[in-house]
Amino acid sequence: MGLTLAGCATGGSDSGDTVKLTLGSWRTEDIAMWEDEILPAFHESHPNIEVEFAATDTNDYNAAIQSQVEGGNAPDLITCRPFDVNRAWIADGYFDDLTGLEALDSFTPTAQAAWQGADGATYCVPVASVLAGFYYNKAIFDELSLEVPETQADFIDVLQAIKDDGTYTPLALGSADGWQLAYNVLYNLGPNYWKGEEGRLGLIDGTQKLTDPGFVDAFAATEALVPFLPEGYEAITYDDMGQLFSLGQAAIIPDGSWNINQLTSTGLDVGVFGAPVPAAGDQRYQQEMPDMAIGLNASSKNKDAATEFLNWLVTPEFLELYVNKLPGFFAMTTDAPAYDNPLAQAFSDLKTDAELTPRLALDRLSAGTPPLDDEIWVALQQMYAGTLTPESATAELQAGLDSWYVPAG
Amino acid sequence: MKRTAASYRNLILFVLPALAIYVAFSVYPLISSVVLSFFDSDGPVGSVFVGFENYVFLFTNEATSERFWNALGNNVVFFLIHLVVEVPVGLLMAALLTSGVLRRSTGVYRTLLFIPATLSVVIVGFIWRLIISPLWGIVSFPLLGNEVTALPTISLMSVWQYVGIPMIFLYTALLAIPGDILEAARIDGSTGWSTFWRIKFPLIAPQFGLIAILTYIWTFNGFDIVYALNGSAPGPNYSTDILGTLFYRTFFGSSGQVANLDLGATVASVIFFIILVTTAAYFWVLQRRLKTYEL
Repeated sequence: MGLTLAGCATGGSDSGDTVKLTLGSWRTEDIAMWEDEILPAFHESHPNIEVEFAATDTNDYNAAIQSQVEGGNAPDLITCRPFDVNRAWIADGYFDDLTGLEALDSFTPTAQAAWQGADGATYCVPVASVLAGFYYNKAIFDELSLEVPETQADFIDVLQAIKDDGTYTPLALGSADGWQLAYNVLYNLGPNYWKGEEGRLGLIDGTQKLTDPGFVDAFAATEALVPFLPEGYEAITYDDMGQLFSLGQAAIIPDGSWNINQLTSTGLDVGVFGAPVPAAGDQRYQQEMPDMAIGLNASSKNKDAATEFLNWLVTPEFLELYVNKLPGFFAMTTDAPAYDNPLAQAFSDLKTDAELTPRLALDRLSAGTPPLDDEIWVALQQMYAGTLTPESATAELQAGLDSWYVPAG
Repeated sequence: MKRTAASYRNLILFVLPALAIYVAFSVYPLISSVVLSFFDSDGPVGSVFVGFENYVFLFTNEATSERFWNALGNNVVFFLIHLVVEVPVGLLMAALLTSGVLRRSTGVYRTLLFIPATLSVVIVGFIWRLIISPLWGIVSFPLLGNEVTALPTISLMSVWQYVGIPMIFLYTALLAIPGDILEAARIDGSTGWSTFWRIKFPLIAPQFGLIAILTYIWTFNGFDIVYALNGSAPGPNYSTDILGTLFYRTFFGSSGQVANLDLGATVASVIFFIILVTTAAYFWVLQRRLKTYEL
């Protein structure tokens, strides 16, 4: 044992050389996982580095990190929020540029996009993302001999068949919570129409408009689900939807991967399928929302040790521990780890033949007034209430965006 | 009594602890929030004094002014529903409680009617949301999902919860009416109906002014029930957005909206000003004219 230690420590061979790192995070619910599983595993392979997990409550996290960085006592490793918040932190010099870091070779440029600065360099190592898809109740599909739909037309046929049978609600979906209409329906179905990154980046650089056919068709595909919703859907909340599905009363629910445990809590046999494509043979696009990454504090005194930790984040050792302790969160590396939870594995498989894209409006397009993301929630609710059409909704949204947004060159 | 230096010193000594806490936690934050509304801290050079620019932006920018006037209008409706429903119902309850027809069950009813006011808003919102849920509840119409019915529905939930407050005000006022006056009325042959409207009602009338202004302050500071039911961007289509939720969304941000401290402070200052002006006007104009009877 003593020999191993001496072999590992570079420079001085005495055990007093242990480097202590702190890792700041907003995941207070994961404290036990990090302290009992992940960090001991890291310490095992890197005995000269000790990492302390310092979690702050989610809602206070941004403010806490900002005041710690300004006060000079921020953690060596900072968990990064996606997109706009992180871009502001990068601009304020919180992080070291990670260009050239070995770990980044494991990620596609799209996977890194949420943590890049205005200069295009990446500042954080991606850790986890969440996915969206359509969960379905396998027993109901067997009973009505239905097959998982591939195209939008198949999807409507399946929904119509369940509606005609009359025993089950075809789609557990309500419009009381605008956010989930956007995150789980439009941003889930839509990338197949606006072609993922092509459309999203097109809005950001101003070469595309929400009134372009791709976006209008995506809104129309979202509206096409209305006939299959439960009665009174305008007042049905996200929680109601989950209950309706997990009680076995609805056949399909559009939802995020974070809800895996909740939706299977009653022991249902549940599968998942990706957003149907407009026509057979079309390229599939899959929403993958970057959730967290870890960056290196620019004023850390232990950068070598911190870099070792960042490189460890792409090893199978870390990834398999992490994703299997937190079903619903997914590794963003190009080589996917194996998932113990079959539903999580099914979700992960959705990524394999699809082009990935984050949620449409969270990057830059919502950093002004009116914020596009909020406006989309409200427009979708109005569309579901019948007061807007896909055409008028997208026209209104584009007008709101044009009132303040200057396309990024 | 002649005030000596010592008595003044004692006065100050006794007032100081409460005053210090009040200033530190109420006056100072209020002033600093108003001060914040005159600055712009989003620029590259830190906080800059911009005068009334935030106010001009709030009222002239198409997106923000539309939200503001919508929230103000909704808040007026929220207040009026409270006033029009809560006060008569509270009066009816108080009159029944003091009428004697309930005999010994008065205490039970008084407690039952007041209990909702002691419940957490989150619980009240949750219970009502279940009761009127189209999936599990008693009505299939989406009351909270319709732009026309959503605000009245939430207002009535809030009325249900707080109707005990005006009831208690009016109840205590009715109890304070001396028995000999009522006895004299009865001997003179006055019916219960005319005793109530000609004797009791004029005696408790000043309470209505107080209840109205308290309801006004309370509803214009309202936030919790709407937030508990519909979150910080209260739909559908902002039809249940009131000033409190507008402030929250502006100051703390919401999922898709970046927090703007200066504009949030501006909204807060405008709310403060609206409440201040109306309350002051009420006390100067109306409260002094309300007839009170010496008994």
